[in-house]
Amino acid sequence: MLLSPPHKPLTNGSEGTSVTKRGPAPADGRPWPWLVPAVAILAVFYAVPVLDVFRLAFSDATLIRPPTSWTAAPIRALLGNPALPEVLVTTFVFTAVNVVALQAFGLAIALTLVRGEARGLRGMTTFRTLVLAAWVVPGIANGLIWQMLFDEAPYGTLNSLLGFVGIGPVAWLSDPGMALVSAVIANLWQGTAFSMIVFYAARKAIDPVIYEVAALDGASPWRTFRSITLPLLRTAIAVNTVLVAVQTLNTFDSILALTGGGPGRATEVLALFTFNTVFYNLDLAGGSVLALIMFAVAMALATVIHGWLGRTA
Amino acid sequence: MRPIILATAIAAAPLAAHAQDLVTRDRVGLPDAPNVMTFRLTPYDLYSADAATAEAFAELFAAFIRERPDWRIETQLQTGNIGQEQARLLQQTQAGRGPDCAMVDSSQLALFEQTGVLQPMNETFSEAEVADLFPYVREAVTNDAGDVLAWWWFTDLRVLYRDTSIVPDAPATWAEVEVAALAAAEAGKEGILFNGGRWEGAAFDWLANFWAQGGRLVDETGAPVFGEGENRQKFLDAVGFYQGLVESGAAPQRVTSITNYDAFNAAAAAGSAAMFVGGNWQYGQLRTTLPPEQFANWAVSELPGPTEDQRATGTGGWAIAALSEDPAKRALCGEMAREVYAGPGNAYQGLLPTSAALYDAYDAYEGPEFNLFAEALQNGVARPGAAIYPEISNQIQILLGDVLSGAAEPEAALDAAFAAAQAAYERQ
Repeated sequence: MLLSPPHKPLTNGSEGTSVTKRGPAPADGRPWPWLVPAVAILAVFYAVPVLDVFRLAFSDATLIRPPTSWTAAPIRALLGNPALPEVLVTTFVFTAVNVVALQAFGLAIALTLVRGEARGLRGMTTFRTLVLAAWVVPGIANGLIWQMLFDEAPYGTLNSLLGFVGIGPVAWLSDPGMALVSAVIANLWQGTAFSMIVFYAARKAIDPVIYEVAALDGASPWRTFRSITLPLLRTAIAVNTVLVAVQTLNTFDSILALTGGGPGRATEVLALFTFNTVFYNLDLAGGSVLALIMFAVAMALATVIHGWLGRTA
Repeated sequence: MRPIILATAIAAAPLAAHAQDLVTRDRVGLPDAPNVMTFRLTPYDLYSADAATAEAFAELFAAFIRERPDWRIETQLQTGNIGQEQARLLQQTQAGRGPDCAMVDSSQLALFEQTGVLQPMNETFSEAEVADLFPYVREAVTNDAGDVLAWWWFTDLRVLYRDTSIVPDAPATWAEVEVAALAAAEAGKEGILFNGGRWEGAAFDWLANFWAQGGRLVDETGAPVFGEGENRQKFLDAVGFYQGLVESGAAPQRVTSITNYDAFNAAAAAGSAAMFVGGNWQYGQLRTTLPPEQFANWAVSELPGPTEDQRATGTGGWAIAALSEDPAKRALCGEMAREVYAGPGNAYQGLLPTSAALYDAYDAYEGPEFNLFAEALQNGVARPGAAIYPEISNQIQILLGDVLSGAAEPEAALDAAFAAAQAAYERQ
């Protein structure tokens, strides 16, 4: 069912020049003069720093010494670094679990909110505000908050609560496996709100008539979700997946405060590894190579995810 | 009584108001003073979050600048992220955009010296003052030509804290520590706590066990040597000490998640720990935090060693260095280090001066704990002044986390750490 006709510009017969009902388009077939200012600003603020990272990645620069020669040594050194595979695996697990869980929790909360509002339940605004409150907490503060909650001392908050119901104590931060789980929990607590906002807006944009028709046809809630809600949220899911994946890939401040990347390298993700390479090792060239890897991974993720989920958008 | 207080307050009001005029969030001195020195400082004194400390330093700075009305000190605040801040400071100074005077972490002094950014303050400090510094401090702040390149204004050290109601006698050796901690653990306490998480404190505190055996992290050229020769076995023995504590239950597994000294204060307040490896500054914190009867149970002793005669403790602290070539600014920087920080500033905060004479000059150092600290400082070891040290520390942190959590064996972890440090050294 086509709910509204697509907007289609009229042409005046001369190729490349479009005419709307209000007259010729502003660019009038010559878009470049209009695009140059925007492109120039983007180039200055985005492309130049990225190009500078490229330049440093092929140099011998350290944090205390400017480049003196051009070399591929930083790339070779990084590829030969035995820590890199472990860091990449940790980053992949941290990002993959977060992306899936953030979508699931964000969608669940958004649908709960919409349903609650549709039924006129009180407290929905408060609920939404509470979820959003976690989002505005800075990453470092988020790490410190969860560090206190996960404290494994005999008087630690979560372990004390679990103790009341006969569970635990749990080695939240001292066990390498659990430490990664704890880092994921802290990130989920903070990041779910963003997914919730995206899905809440997208769900509110779906025409309620469609749900009324589904109800008249006797569709079950699950069938309605599977056949109406999910397909119509496809674009939102694609966009949100890309944004959340890139955000998670760049996460390092909350982990720095929560575990510092430890025990050992158990929670050292690529962004934190980059930070340590530059500020512990003073290796600016090596850090630039890592930044390029993050850039490439983020671009690949965006391309693949958007191409996969957003192909019919 | 009230009239006296009122009269005192009225009399002091102009002085206080004047101090407020002279000290702002980014300036010390009159705003139109003709001479300007920029000073980058840490957030622990003049701009401390503790209002009383900030006020005390504001008074000290106000008194200092009143005697120099032609000068204005423009202050720049460093954050608590020491590694990043110090790297930025060095980078800016090399590029000619650094401050005239700055606080430099003692572990970074050698790196600053190697890069040639430290300017001598010979005119300010006499030979007698330099001679009165502790040996490791004197060595760090002077070069081969005898130039005074910085003034290390306070030091600190690591000691063993114990609850004497659980551990009456101070353990002097590793074996005695394990026995005492196991006995405490069997009594339901955490036997001994120490930093074992991923941060500088974990590596620095543990290094005392390596240094006590005479181990060396780097050679004369600054190259890593901790994983080869006789250093290798000393390193493994020191790791084995911590590993044994965790595996035996003398120390809880959670030590691999401890990334700050406050965790020990909390354990002491909760009465859950029998011993911990902490900093000397925590003694004062415990005194003000714990009820008097509970504080009376706590005592400090020198860190244990493999034998009674093999002891060491890591020493840190901050220095003030002149980064400007202007002789007048260098002089002002040195005078500020001496008149504000090294003497009255230290005494107010209860920090440990680096000069023996200052311990006799202030009543603040009359407590018995300061005798113990002074004694332990005889075995003080500073972190090596090598550019590779931060990466060595990083690798030790990783190694300790892996070994204590059971993720790696000490030998394999040491091989990995040493190889990583060598690779990083070659890249530098």
